[in-house]
Amino acid sequence: MVRFKSSRRRVLLIIAGSALVTLAAATAVWVVYLDRLVTREFQGRHWSVPARVYAVPVDLYVGAPVGADDLEDELRRLHYRRGDPAAGPGVYRRQGGDFDVHARRVRFVEELRESELISIRAGSDSITDIRQADDTELPVFRLDPLLVGSVFPIHGEDRIVLSPADVPPLLHAAIKLIEDRRFDQHHGVDPYGILRATWANLRAGHVVQGGSTLTQQLVKNYFLTDERTARRKATEAVMALRLEAHFSKEEILVAYLNEVYLGQDGERAVHGFGLASEYYFAQPLDELDAGKLALLIGLVKGPSYYDPRKHPERARARRNLVLQVMADAHLIDAAEAKRASAALLGLRPPGGSYVPAYLDLVRRHLKRDYAEADLAAAGLAVYTSLDPRAQAAAERSLTRHLSRLDAASRVADEHLEGAVIVAEPNSGDVVAVVGGREVGADGFNRALDARRPIGSLVKPAVYLAALESGRYNAATMLEDAPIELKLGDGSVWAPQNFTHETYGQVPVARALAESMNLATVRMGLDIGLPRVADTLQRLGLETRPTLNPSLLLGTVEMTPLEVVQVYTSLANGGFRARLRAVRAVLDEHGQPLKSFKVQVETAAAATDIYVLDQMLTLVMTRGTGRSAATRLPPGLIVAGKTGTSSDTRDSWFAGFTGSYLAVVWVGYDDNRVTGLTGAAGALPVWIDTVASLKSASFQPVRPELLEDRWIGFGDGLETTPGCSEDAIVVAVPLGTVLPRKAACGPSPTGTMIDKIKAWFKTNIH
Amino acid sequence: MVQDKHSLRTLAVALTTALLVAGCATSRVTSLPPTSSPSAEPVPQASPQPLALPTAPPPPPAVRENRLSPATGSLVTQARAQVARGDLPAASSTLDRALRIEPNNPLLWIELGKLRLVESDAHQAEICARKALALASGDRRSQSQAGRLLADALRAQQRNQEAREVEKQPFMN
Repeated sequence: MVRFKSSRRRVLLIIAGSALVTLAAATAVWVVYLDRLVTREFQGRHWSVPARVYAVPVDLYVGAPVGADDLEDELRRLHYRRGDPAAGPGVYRRQGGDFDVHARRVRFVEELRESELISIRAGSDSITDIRQADDTELPVFRLDPLLVGSVFPIHGEDRIVLSPADVPPLLHAAIKLIEDRRFDQHHGVDPYGILRATWANLRAGHVVQGGSTLTQQLVKNYFLTDERTARRKATEAVMALRLEAHFSKEEILVAYLNEVYLGQDGERAVHGFGLASEYYFAQPLDELDAGKLALLIGLVKGPSYYDPRKHPERARARRNLVLQVMADAHLIDAAEAKRASAALLGLRPPGGSYVPAYLDLVRRHLKRDYAEADLAAAGLAVYTSLDPRAQAAAERSLTRHLSRLDAASRVADEHLEGAVIVAEPNSGDVVAVVGGREVGADGFNRALDARRPIGSLVKPAVYLAALESGRYNAATMLEDAPIELKLGDGSVWAPQNFTHETYGQVPVARALAESMNLATVRMGLDIGLPRVADTLQRLGLETRPTLNPSLLLGTVEMTPLEVVQVYTSLANGGFRARLRAVRAVLDEHGQPLKSFKVQVETAAAATDIYVLDQMLTLVMTRGTGRSAATRLPPGLIVAGKTGTSSDTRDSWFAGFTGSYLAVVWVGYDDNRVTGLTGAAGALPVWIDTVASLKSASFQPVRPELLEDRWIGFGDGLETTPGCSEDAIVVAVPLGTVLPRKAACGPSPTGTMIDKIKAWFKTNIH
Repeated sequence: MVQDKHSLRTLAVALTTALLVAGCATSRVTSLPPTSSPSAEPVPQASPQPLALPTAPPPPPAVRENRLSPATGSLVTQARAQVARGDLPAASSTLDRALRIEPNNPLLWIELGKLRLVESDAHQAEICARKALALASGDRRSQSQAGRLLADALRAQQRNQEAREVEKQPFMN
């Protein structure tokens, strides 16, 4: 009996024993598995340093359009401080227009420049003198490239990763004080903390305090969901312990500061103090004062509950509590805490160096132009074409005008949206991208992804195709009269002019300037739709448009970026430069990565483009864009085209100066009617953007095979300014015979010369 | 084999560089003027008067001469030094920088085209030459430099007939 009992007990013991062993083994396997996972993932993340993204550096030279105040703005943007330049790099002194700058050691695409002392003299709008410390003149000097963000080129997240040296000492101490007082003592899990939290929770009757260490929070951010189950808690604890076993406290703290979730920016999560500092304040972390640091530290507890934009009072109370704790621990003195507690939150105004829409294009162009394997390397530096001044100008103009238009509109429940892209047509460099009116938001990037009918923006391509056919010149008469077409599906298409009027006989230049639909359709049908489609594709449209007659009035859909590509060829004398946001990428040793080269191709003959462009300047002086004339800097010559899609759903403007090409789209996201023509919606945004950029006039060099002639804007007859009030200049092939206005006498250029030229033209070719 | 190829390429670069620098040494005087003229723009401006203020007849064809400004002149010198060192990517971005300052100066496009030839990209050299030619309208000296570059770029693509046509153009002598 006893024996039986004892053998039963032994069996039970064995069973229990083996169960225990199995459990222990399973636990061990589980722990080893978690250990591996933690180590691998942490190391991977820990070492993945994102690519740093830089704007184009500002070049200074005698005559550069940078006034003394502009120069100081640039220096401030680059975080140069006022002081004694002898103190070290990053300091400048200004006396009137004279600057002494201790420039930092900087890596440019072409060279590493050592720090040096430079003296710059600037007038009110331009640089007048640049000298080195030994008083030798310097013909050209550039400022540091501005860091505008960082991207992980492969997985597309952006984050500003801090290294241990980048962490301000106050943040280092305060984050432990607020979130995990015993961080330096525990091994990943803090039993005292758990007890304290449990006690507090029991007393309150619900969860008021968490006992999680920084390590546990880090693990949770890396690997786990937000559910609160015992199993998840256990996993988290084991992982935290393993993490502490493998990595130093310092590594864990820095990883935590880079990983912690601090807010939501549209569809993008803001992780890490580096990015949060840019997102909330547009300042680098090491420049934040105690108040701003306290605000960020306070956000850890609940980024949406304490969101300083949505709940400024909560955020302020939380910030002041953190400041109090800092003062109690003697991290800051009481006076500073008091001063900081009384200060405003100091959130960044819209705009600034925070450019998610541009970074979006940078990411796409990195993928387009570089090998994925090369982009995976750590510590890359991406040099972009971004011009922060143009970006700020475009952002300001768009937000300002959309607010004005919204206020004037009867649609109260919906806000107008818009997009702006600015480029340098010669190089194809994209210098600014605004993806919507919420400039900071990283949501839908309309500049790159909103595909809309372009309306009359297509007309320059139709007129170019007509010039290329050899059957039309700027003075050729067109008939603006009603037309009806039977389409393939049996329906009848009867386009109308926007004004619902008809204009009869009009010269080509006027039909384009006033954007006449009927004259354009008749001419387009005469040269044939395939020719128009060919021209559009040569200019840069990547997909062949459907050959429907309505193509002539712009039913073809394009994104603002695609429009920029097409117009680049018009603004660049017929040369098509492929758009680029990325100029170069250097690896961590300063060596350039191999990229697909900039490609410039011939899209159209210089002569045809010259004639077309001159007609596009008439759009701005006499046609649908003439409202610009009084609002642009006096004397600035510009060329452009308005576009309005059917029922005014889309308002477009594309136009260029001698320096920049800018395309603006305005409309509703849900595609409803805006009531705005291109001239009423997009053009004011374009004007403001261009007016605030320092821009040269659009004055292309006239090809030698062309000559300027005067014709009447209304009747198209050759005339003289003295003879006709409405005389305009058009470019035509040398020796073109134009019908003369009877009352005006002989051609001003002289009939004999014309005959000689005509003879040369017919006999030489 | 690889090394052979590499040394061949180096030789080619060195030779072309020598040619380029030699070529530049003579043209230097013409393309880098004394810095007394601060004007970066072609002088005088040929104004097509598209504003059409009805006051004067179209201007007569202007005589133009393109020059480099002190800033772009010094960048061109830098780019040539970079080519001489064999650092072609750096030379390319230095010329980009110069073109951002004076995008319409045909001399810079000619310089960029010469670099493209050194990089064995004759097609892009041709485009640069054509761009320079378009900008040089009315400036015989720039036209003939651009024309020579264009002929070289065409020959490098075995388009000898077209190269001869270019050389027959009136601005070539």
